[in-house]
Amino acid sequence: MLTEESKPVVNQRIVLREESDDWAILFDPDTSGTYGLNPVAVYIWKCLDGKNTIADIVRKLGKECKDMPDDAVNHVKAFVDELIEKGYAGYGT
Amino acid sequence: MRDTGHKLTLKAEGLDSCSIMKPIKTPRSVDIEITNDCNLRCKYCYHFTGPGDVREDVPTGEWLSFFEELGRCAVMDVYIEGGEPFFREDLRELIDGVVKNRMRFKLLSNGTLITDEAASYIASTGRCDNVQVSIDGGSPQTHDLSRGKGSFHRAVAGINILRKHQIPVGARVTINRHNVRGLDEIAKFLLDDIGLPAFSTNSAGPMGLCRQNQEEMGLTVEDRQIAMESLLRLNKKYNGRIKAQAGPLADARQWRMMEQARREGRAQLPNCGFLSGCGGVMDKMAVRADGVMTPCTQMSHIELGRINRDDLMEVWQHHPELKRLRERAAIPLSTFEFCKGCEYMHYCTGNCPALAYATLKEDNHPSPDACLKRFLEAGGTIPE
Repeated sequence: MLTEESKPVVNQRIVLREESDDWAILFDPDTSGTYGLNPVAVYIWKCLDGKNTIADIVRKLGKECKDMPDDAVNHVKAFVDELIEKGYAGYGT
Repeated sequence: MRDTGHKLTLKAEGLDSCSIMKPIKTPRSVDIEITNDCNLRCKYCYHFTGPGDVREDVPTGEWLSFFEELGRCAVMDVYIEGGEPFFREDLRELIDGVVKNRMRFKLLSNGTLITDEAASYIASTGRCDNVQVSIDGGSPQTHDLSRGKGSFHRAVAGINILRKHQIPVGARVTINRHNVRGLDEIAKFLLDDIGLPAFSTNSAGPMGLCRQNQEEMGLTVEDRQIAMESLLRLNKKYNGRIKAQAGPLADARQWRMMEQARREGRAQLPNCGFLSGCGGVMDKMAVRADGVMTPCTQMSHIELGRINRDDLMEVWQHHPELKRLRERAAIPLSTFEFCKGCEYMHYCTGNCPALAYATLKEDNHPSPDACLKRFLEAGGTIPE
C-alpha cells in the first residue's frame, strides 16, 4: 500500500526514453511495452530513486510547478501506483 | 502509448516552440550491418558492389562499446543485418551486448546458417522481435536461380529451426525477373504449405549487384504489371497476409489511391506534393560494417561519422546531411522539371531517396523508378 512515506524506486530494466518537448516514453524491452509520460510524469519518474518519499516528491513538484492542485499528492500516488502495478517501479527499502 | 492523464503543469518554458519537423532526441532504432561477409552472392543484392560493401568488419569490442552508447541514448531496438549476420562467429556475444543495454533486436538473414544452437540462444533472450529470412521462390528451381544452388532447402531448414524455438519468422520475397511469374506458387508455399502468418515483398532495385545484373534480374514494365496484379489478387485471396512497404504491391496501392484522387479532382493527398517519400531519417539511422554511421543502409555513400569516435546524439541532432535529408519533405515536386505537367504531382511523394540516388546520383529528386507517369508512358496500366 503506497503512503506518503513510501520511497518508491524505478525498475532498472525499464528505459526512460526522453523525446523532444520534454515528453518521454517508458520502454520495457522484455515485453516491447511502452507508456507515454508528460513532462510532470517525467519529473516524478526521475525522483523515484528509493530515497524520496511521496511527500518529498510532492514538495519538490511544488517548487517546479505552477497551479498545483490541492490534491496533488493523490495525483502523484495514483501515478506511482500505476507504475508499480505495471511493474515499472517498486517499493524502496 | 498514452498520456498519464495527470494535469500538473511544469513552469518549463519553450514547450510551445517545437516544430513538427524537429527530430526526436536520439534515433529509436538503428540498422546495423555487423558484417560485410556473406556465404551467398544473390544476384540482386543491393549490398555487394554498393557503397556499403566496405570489406572490413568492426571487431567485437567496438560493437559492444557502441551498444553501450545506444543504451545510454535509449535506443529501443536494433536491426542486425549484413552481409549475413549468422556468418559472424561472435554473433551471440554481440546479441548479449544488445540485450545487456536494454534493447530489442531483429535479424535479417538468408536463413542458410541458422543452427539449432543459435536459434535456442536467440529464443532464450526473449528480446527478438523477428528473424527475417529471404525466400525468393516456392521451389528450389526458382529460389536458387537468384540465390545459389542449395540455398532454398537450407533457408527453409533455417525457418523450421526458428519456428521450432517459437521465434517469429518474417519471410521476405524480393520480386525479380525469375520469380515474378511464380508468385502464386510462392504464396502457396509460404502461407499454405509452411503456414507462416504472413510474408512481405519488395523488388530488386537498381543497386549493388542488381545494377550489374539488371538484364537478368530487374523488372520490366510488363513484369511490374504482372507483379502488381498478382499480388493484389493473392492478397485478397489470403486476407491481407502479404505485406509491402516498397515494390510492386506498395506501388499498386499507392498508384490506385493517386488515380482515385485524380479522378475525384482532389486538390492534394495528405503529405503529398513534396519530396516526402521517406520518413526514415526522422527516427532511425544505420551503421556500416566498418563502423561508419549512415542515414540508411541503402544510402551508405553518405558518411555521417564513426562509431565510438563521434557522438551519436551530436551526429543525429546536428549533422548537416541528416538535416538536409529531413528537409527534403519541404521541397515541392513542382520545382522539378521531371514533374512538370504531371497530373499526379499533388498525390505523389517522390518516393525513396535511395532509389533516386541509385538512378540519378541525386537524392533530392523524385525517384524515376517509382514514377507513375513514367510507368504509364511506358505502357503500364494501374491495376483495378
